[in-house]
Amino acid sequence: MRWIGLSLVAMVALLAALGSLLLGATEIAPGSLIGAFVAPDPGSMEHLILRTERLPRALIASVVGASLAVAGALTQTLTRNALAAPSILGINAGAMCFVVIASSFFALRSPLALVWVAFFGALMAALLVALLGRERSGGLSPLRTVLGGVAVTALFVSLAQGLLIVDQDGFESLLLWLAGSVAGRGLDVLTPLLPFFLVTAVLCALMVRQLNLLILDDEVAKGLGQRTGWARLLAGVAVIVLAGGSVALAGLIGFVGLIVPHMVRALFGRDHRWVLPGCALLGGGLLLAADTLARLLMPPQEVPVGVMTALLGTPFFLYLARRRSFAP
Amino acid sequence: MRIVTLYQGATDSALALGLEPVGVVESWLERPMYRYLREELPERVRYLGLETQPDLEALAGLAPELVVGVRYRHAGLYPLLSRIAPTLIADTAHDFEALLELMGEATGREAEAQALLTEWRDRVADFRCRAEAQLGDAWPQRVSVANFRSDHARLYYEGFARHILDQLGFLRPSGQWRSGWGVKLVSRESLPAMDADAIFVFMRDDPAVSELHREWTSHPLWQRLDAVQAGRVYYVDPVIWNMGAGILAAQRLLDELYEHYGFVDDRQAWVGGVC
Repeated sequence: MRWIGLSLVAMVALLAALGSLLLGATEIAPGSLIGAFVAPDPGSMEHLILRTERLPRALIASVVGASLAVAGALTQTLTRNALAAPSILGINAGAMCFVVIASSFFALRSPLALVWVAFFGALMAALLVALLGRERSGGLSPLRTVLGGVAVTALFVSLAQGLLIVDQDGFESLLLWLAGSVAGRGLDVLTPLLPFFLVTAVLCALMVRQLNLLILDDEVAKGLGQRTGWARLLAGVAVIVLAGGSVALAGLIGFVGLIVPHMVRALFGRDHRWVLPGCALLGGGLLLAADTLARLLMPPQEVPVGVMTALLGTPFFLYLARRRSFAP
Repeated sequence: MRIVTLYQGATDSALALGLEPVGVVESWLERPMYRYLREELPERVRYLGLETQPDLEALAGLAPELVVGVRYRHAGLYPLLSRIAPTLIADTAHDFEALLELMGEATGREAEAQALLTEWRDRVADFRCRAEAQLGDAWPQRVSVANFRSDHARLYYEGFARHILDQLGFLRPSGQWRSGWGVKLVSRESLPAMDADAIFVFMRDDPAVSELHREWTSHPLWQRLDAVQAGRVYYVDPVIWNMGAGILAAQRLLDELYEHYGFVDDRQAWVGGVC
């Protein structure tokens, strides 16, 4: 059953990817899809749009969607809190604050530089939260981590807002990123971050058993001979890289990190061997579909993609919510 | 007369009327005040912070006799402002003629305001006349007003520049007859939305903006635009086209247009409809 379910989700994600490549201001025939990458014709506008606009966009959307959903699932497991999302660990706020500092003090505006700044900010905030959430025994306490996250978020948001009030004009150029968008970025922005995402994906794959135990009480897990401290730490690092990288690439996209894990658990249960691949496929597929719709609704204007993820995802979530109860 | 102006168009209009504001708000570019206004501005003028959040305490301290704001920024402040001094709130930021008339009435300089407006209307008529005579069938032109930023491009349907272009008889491409200020374009795929007989482009002097501009204008979709192929992409001053929003900015905008279109701007020679 689960295999069939996962294949179905994979099919949906694939369809979303195809839609993302073929639909937009210029309709592209499915036939030119292969040609554009196998035998690109420099004179063909379709090939050119596919290679310079659609492909980077689809890749970024799928990586960001998958990462946000997986990071969300990990966060919920780590904190044993069904309402947790990466943003609760101060990651969004940290990225935002550092980007604001970089653009208002150092006049840094190029996407590539800002991606690194955002990534670094997310990292700093998450380290601070990890420090605050540390227990004497060395592990991370779920409650302290969440409280630390709320405090660090408040700190960074207030700093960023203070700066934005002084530099209101600079704020204008950050609005698009703050609202969340996978558009207008080239592959040159994605490629330097890609190794981080890949290593983290492997790490997650290796950790599924430990993650399953983290859902249990610490006492029970320790009784089973698990060192939960390390597992928590590694899962925490994975969240930082995935969520931090996503925020850096696409800004603040809501909904995916919080809700997709719940959808996946409703479909596949709580076993991380299914939850993590399910999250990656559904998260990526959802963001691809949302981004495609966002640019089709009222061209040439684009709807913020975060609005579309919620618009697309909520009905499905409500349907699942009526069927089942949720627990991380 | 002790006058305080709370937005850029009001500062511009005050200076045009020969008034010397005692307090102004900071400009958005070329801080603290746009270069084209700096010379006229008295040296001891007090800067009251940003258009969006003027320092009311300092404002009250200046004991103004007239405060000028604009509805979309200062409607909420009106109750407070009107207790400090008689307050004038303009309806929109781009209707600079209405503002000039109102400020003329409020300061007893109706004659100066009318003279400026008459001169303006004469020049508008002159430009239209020359455009008709010299461009022939190519007039009226459909034009786009575009702006490149560090992470997206904008296309303006409304605003100060569009308000003037409409008066001058310029048309707009069929997709641009919509309400609202305009659109943000985030993907180069949307470049065809800019297409027109001519494109007026303004952008600020910033490396990230230049980089985005380079990326967009090197794309074949840009090269295919009618305006680009006809060589009618005009780079214009962002302060004059998008920020000044007063009669002085309007005059300079028209100067730029005369120059780009190669029309002789001889105001003396112009006599009642013959250009």
